[in-house]
Amino acid sequence: MDTKINETLDCKGLSCPMPMMKLAKTMKGMKSEEVLEMLGTDPGTKSDLPRWCDKSGNTLLDESELAGGVFRFLIQKK
Amino acid sequence: MSENNKETGALGQLYKTFFAKHWPVWVGGIVLGTLNILLFAIKSPWGASGGINNWGENVYKLIGIFGLENAKPTGASFYGMLCVFLVIGSFIGALLSKEFALRIPPKGELIKGFIGGSLMALGATFGIGCTISAFFSGMPALSGGAIIFTIGLFLGVIVALKYLMWEMEKFPGFSSGKSYNFLAGTGKSGIWQKWAGWIVLIITFIIAYQYSGGNKIMTWFIIIGMLMGLISQRSRFCIVKAFRDPFMTGEADGSVGVMAGIFIGLFGFTIIKYFGIGVGDIALRTREMTWVFPHFFFRAAIGGFIFGLGMTIAGGCAVGTLWRVGEGQVKLWASALGFLIISPISKLYIVPPIVDAIPQSWDFKNYLPDYLGYPGAFALITLIILIWYVFVKWNEKTGKFSAY
Repeated sequence: MDTKINETLDCKGLSCPMPMMKLAKTMKGMKSEEVLEMLGTDPGTKSDLPRWCDKSGNTLLDESELAGGVFRFLIQKK
Repeated sequence: MSENNKETGALGQLYKTFFAKHWPVWVGGIVLGTLNILLFAIKSPWGASGGINNWGENVYKLIGIFGLENAKPTGASFYGMLCVFLVIGSFIGALLSKEFALRIPPKGELIKGFIGGSLMALGATFGIGCTISAFFSGMPALSGGAIIFTIGLFLGVIVALKYLMWEMEKFPGFSSGKSYNFLAGTGKSGIWQKWAGWIVLIITFIIAYQYSGGNKIMTWFIIIGMLMGLISQRSRFCIVKAFRDPFMTGEADGSVGVMAGIFIGLFGFTIIKYFGIGVGDIALRTREMTWVFPHFFFRAAIGGFIFGLGMTIAGGCAVGTLWRVGEGQVKLWASALGFLIISPISKLYIVPPIVDAIPQSWDFKNYLPDYLGYPGAFALITLIILIWYVFVKWNEKTGKFSAY
């Protein structure tokens, strides 16, 4: 359950397209198997991110909603 | 989980179908395309910039500047009300799915929202329409100008996307910083959102009913506007996404959703125009020319380009802005504000002198069936959609044109 997080990307307050742009750019700079924690508040990310993971081959390890309407995603680079 | 377990009955399942998860964009596109046909059957097709312009005119009327005392009150303007209820419909959708929150972004994003909205207002005035009236409705309306507007949009999106990527690279601090999130519906404490959603829905129907005595068309504009907002929010229907994502992350879902809506609209609009459905007292030719604007081709090209820049910077076109306003995205509040403030000013002062210098006839409307017949015009729009579809799907697979 305790996944090692290599980097955290804070996209709270940002709306489309900034969260996905920042996510894609950050993932580009990470190594294979590394895990990114992404925090955001845009509901669009809930559907955009899993779809992007599906298509890009990265793995969405976990998805949860924290207090205050913050969405948290753990993504592992392929 | 406990909350989910409570809703196991048939109605609970139905509720979950609509509000537990986002809908596929293509479902949203098909329903929105169908509602667009209904609007046309009742009166005229979907549009958004005219409604936002009406809001702006009423703001200036209230302040008493620019000589707009004869502006139509929003309560009497079909498109003004359509836009109001589009926001309310999205608000209802966000509440019923507990996705509403006041999301205040970093300052830089607010500035981008305002600038983007202002550019959209300029683009819509130049191009005589926005992504809805001059594209999503304009293409099914078999307008030649809509094709030109679309090319302009496409170029504007590419340029603005390059800017966003440059900004993220060179000035990452511009879209970072303090942000706030209020009234989020997380967990059990957010149950109030569902109650509020039902209440606003009931109030909407009461208002629609109030109009039914003397203005039946308005009743339906209110109901359809509300449904359009709700569906757009649930399916994340977004025309910026359709143009931008293939060149950003390579995703094609948003594009396919918009194509589905245009294609459905194409069927309905062609039938309405061909058979003169709803022609009433007006001439058949007038019905045929509905949503075919005199913008061919410089105005359409320039307007589309400026609009494309604006919507990409704002992160939502006219409709994408409106439904995100209802969802509580304050960046798009800034965009709507920029749009409504600048729209009447650009109509009165900025665009007319520039337009006078453009070598284009203001009486000419390019109606594709005049040149290609109905079958040819229908086939041409279908072909454009098909080429676009093949391109985005190929690009999704190969990533040839996507930045990430």
